[in-house]
Amino acid sequence: MAHDPARTTNLINKGKIDPEFLRNKLKLKSLEAKHSLFEKYPHVEKFFAERGLDLSKIREHSAKIITTGALTGSLLLTPPTLAKNIPAVVNAVKSLAQLEGAQPGTPKQETLLSSLQQILPQKVGSLERTQEKTLEQVFSQVIGVNAKATLEGEHLNTTYGYIGAEQHLARYPGDSMAAHPKVPQSDEGMAPGLGAWGYFARSKAALTPDLDVDEKWYAVVQTLYLPDWAKRQPFLQNWYKYRKVLIVNTLNGNAVVADIADSGPAAWTGKQFGGSPEVMNYLGGPRYKKGPVIVFFVDDPKNQIPLGPVDYNKVDALGVTMTQA
Amino acid sequence: MKLEIKIMSKLFFDHLIVLEEVELEIKKTASSREEREELWTLVDEIVNHKVLEKVLDKLPRAHHDEFLELFNKCPHDEQVIFGYLKGKTGQDNIEEILRGELKSISTDILKEIRPQDEVSTETKVSKR
Repeated sequence: MAHDPARTTNLINKGKIDPEFLRNKLKLKSLEAKHSLFEKYPHVEKFFAERGLDLSKIREHSAKIITTGALTGSLLLTPPTLAKNIPAVVNAVKSLAQLEGAQPGTPKQETLLSSLQQILPQKVGSLERTQEKTLEQVFSQVIGVNAKATLEGEHLNTTYGYIGAEQHLARYPGDSMAAHPKVPQSDEGMAPGLGAWGYFARSKAALTPDLDVDEKWYAVVQTLYLPDWAKRQPFLQNWYKYRKVLIVNTLNGNAVVADIADSGPAAWTGKQFGGSPEVMNYLGGPRYKKGPVIVFFVDDPKNQIPLGPVDYNKVDALGVTMTQA
Repeated sequence: MKLEIKIMSKLFFDHLIVLEEVELEIKKTASSREEREELWTLVDEIVNHKVLEKVLDKLPRAHHDEFLELFNKCPHDEQVIFGYLKGKTGQDNIEEILRGELKSISTDILKEIRPQDEVSTETKVSKR
């Protein structure tokens, strides 16, 4: 037989990297990067040591600076930022006034897109509180969902960012794509790992329709980068577990209510949110892999708002091109 | 005017680095949230050190301390930090230069973590 058994075995194994192997390799690479920097620039190591800072944890430091208000120092260095915010506030107010005076019969999706265009900054990124408050009113009036950027004192690191396509999650032990519902085209398959909260049900028999829907319409947010994530456990984990969010595609106005079932994506992916194949399919179609969205918490204390598409307007927006990864 | 603080956890260079293939390898490997986040943090450490080294390579030594102070005060503020870097390096396209140089981070990490069976040790020719 014309084959090489050893190589075949190797090729089969290469599909899956051993987690311990990966951890060790990354640790080694991290030490190398650290060594290279500090050997070339010893004053950098001294600088961080003197201030009790760790470059490995600089993201945490960044979050602390902002949330504790220690930002004052850097804001003083950036007066243009303040000036830049003024038009945004004015536009937001104008936009809301226009919304109230919108022509009867104007498609809601068109009204929403027009409002978004005026409220959102040109570049995808964090929003000002005034912008978020205006959006809350727009979403309530146009989409009909009561959604908040800050709910019960909790706020995501960013509410306006890029969403990326995620895979289906295993609903119960032994779940596989053979048994799992799929989207009609370009299905992403099933993630090798579990969601942030583990399986949705203990067994196939224990999978209720509600739990099935939880997986179908799930969202991913960067809980791991929340400044106080580690400190406020287990409260935050419980608070975020299956928390409903409203996701609005800012390019076409499509909106979906999803529940948070996983953490991520990593900061260095250029994305801030993730959506299940069903979420992504509804937001932008089967080829939609990445695009700008707004993500707000759904204020639904009585659990009356169902997960899934928010069909606030059946008229599609005109000629909107989807962003694809 | 009342100052409003935007909550976020970002670093000034986040938009320059997209390591999607590394992310894919981690997703394929990690079986739990904790494991995945630990691996992400390790990549974050690599990125942070590499970026700082590349930035300092471009910046004259006389400005290093001032830059580090700025980075310490507002590590998230790309406008301020890139504004500073443009001024001190005299290169208006410093972001693009860094973006280009930082592309090697992905290749370096993937070379380390992917098994070496993609290329024949005899011929060094891809088997794919």
